[in-house]
Amino acid sequence: MSKITRRDFLKIAGAASAAGVLGYASTARAAEGGQGAARVVVVGGGFGGATCAKYLRRLDPGVAVTLIEPSNQFITCPFSNLVLGGLRDMGSLTQNYDTLKKKHGVNVMHETVTGIDAAGKKLKLKSGKTLSYDRLVVSPGIDFKWDAVEGYSEKAAEVMPHAWKAGPQTLLLQKKLKAMKNGGTFILVSPPNPFRCPPGPYERASMVAHYLKEHKPKSKIIILDAKDAFSKQGLFQDGWKKIYGDMIEWVPGAKGGTVKKVNVKKMTLETELDKHKADVVNFIPAQTAGKIALASGLADDKGWCPVDPKTFESKMHPGIHVIGDSSIAGALPKSGFAASSEAKMCAAAIVALFKGETPAENSLVNTCYSLIAPKYGISVAGVYKVTEKGITEVPGAGGVSPKDAPDSFREQEAKYGAGWYASIISDIWG
Amino acid sequence: MKIQNSLSTLLLTAAFLAGCATEPPPPAKAAPATPAAAAPAPPPSPAAVRNMISNCYSCHGTDGRSPGAIPSLTGKNAEQALLVLKEFKSGQLAATVMTRHAKGYTDAELEALANYIGTNLR
Repeated sequence: MSKITRRDFLKIAGAASAAGVLGYASTARAAEGGQGAARVVVVGGGFGGATCAKYLRRLDPGVAVTLIEPSNQFITCPFSNLVLGGLRDMGSLTQNYDTLKKKHGVNVMHETVTGIDAAGKKLKLKSGKTLSYDRLVVSPGIDFKWDAVEGYSEKAAEVMPHAWKAGPQTLLLQKKLKAMKNGGTFILVSPPNPFRCPPGPYERASMVAHYLKEHKPKSKIIILDAKDAFSKQGLFQDGWKKIYGDMIEWVPGAKGGTVKKVNVKKMTLETELDKHKADVVNFIPAQTAGKIALASGLADDKGWCPVDPKTFESKMHPGIHVIGDSSIAGALPKSGFAASSEAKMCAAAIVALFKGETPAENSLVNTCYSLIAPKYGISVAGVYKVTEKGITEVPGAGGVSPKDAPDSFREQEAKYGAGWYASIISDIWG
Repeated sequence: MKIQNSLSTLLLTAAFLAGCATEPPPPAKAAPATPAAAAPAPPPSPAAVRNMISNCYSCHGTDGRSPGAIPSLTGKNAEQALLVLKEFKSGQLAATVMTRHAKGYTDAELEALANYIGTNLR
């Protein structure tokens, strides 16, 4: 995103907003009144955006929905760790937008948004086109703080891949892992909170360990962590010990896990206490809301987007909703499941608002499966409601898989993890 | 009565869960049901029920039709669905995640979800 052209754009487009207001008291009435259907534009075709586009159409076929996504296919981050473990190929993680277009009547545009004019309710696209909307949904995922650690950069990611957006980076990391010698050291740098997919780095360490155990069993994995605790920690550590012995070493922030400096030429990482040399480094940088959210003034000074928990409407710009990893969604984690749940609530709220109704009570859910080994799955679940404190977890519900479960339980969760993937993919892109 | 109840539960469980029939027993003794709040919660509105049920689709497939290993929600009547949901909530019925999910809903919400399953998810 270049220096924001938003201000200039505002000047040009400012006058257009007043006319649109009358148009959508009810979609039916808008159509009858000859003003056309209510228009929603969704930016970003991932778990949040694609769900929102589909569910808007399901809830009210009278709403015109345009989904803007630069790529004509989407490779999911969920299950991309399994590629590293040799359990999946990239093709099985690759989704497209054909069904959204053909079956659900979503107008999918493979375009890039360069500017949002909140006051004028218009978007500017890279092709030079301008799009008007009645409500906008922004679901751009995450971006990286490239300069948070000395020596790391977008260019350095070609040597020390992040692989935290699935695609070429996943394949690059896999290539490096396959080229590593038996007895080599794989270092995973886990990011500070908040970040996309809290159990993800630890599932990744598990899948790398699975590959190494089969092919390069003398190798070692070190997780250098900025944090002192992590998601499903006890379950991961029990599973690692049981299946991989002492192959995986986790170094928490309090014991010198925070990386201060990297050197891509020497393949070294410096913490406050140590200097580590690695054969392969998976460096997952600190994160912010997606670029377009930052550039459009939707984020706060910490880089994430404050929203009304009932509708996911931005607290910075009315008429714009922010869902998925970019939003500040209270107790909900930044997961694909949560993004999809937020998207469904956002879609229902938008349809209600178009009809002049008060949106119904939200119900938000998360379930995240992680795979420690092919037949060893674990999960965390949560049910969430909106209270005066925002999105909070329903007490007494949710939580992680039981600690001392039999092998059959872990195997069942591995199977259900795959079942979850099949279901959510068909629920979103099918 | 008691015997009859547990018998029908068993049958329904088998019927409802299909793919879950081989599910392992709970590792620890099942926790007792969370005590209900002092005043019974009012039933959720139809739109709120649609919001709730839509979250189920992320694991059970759109409109409860699962394409994979997780059981579908289709083909159950409201009574069957409610019995299973309540037993997930109480922990009487063993499950991997459903015991954790069911505890997040009031009895009135489970009833509304069961009615939705019985009426709309064929």
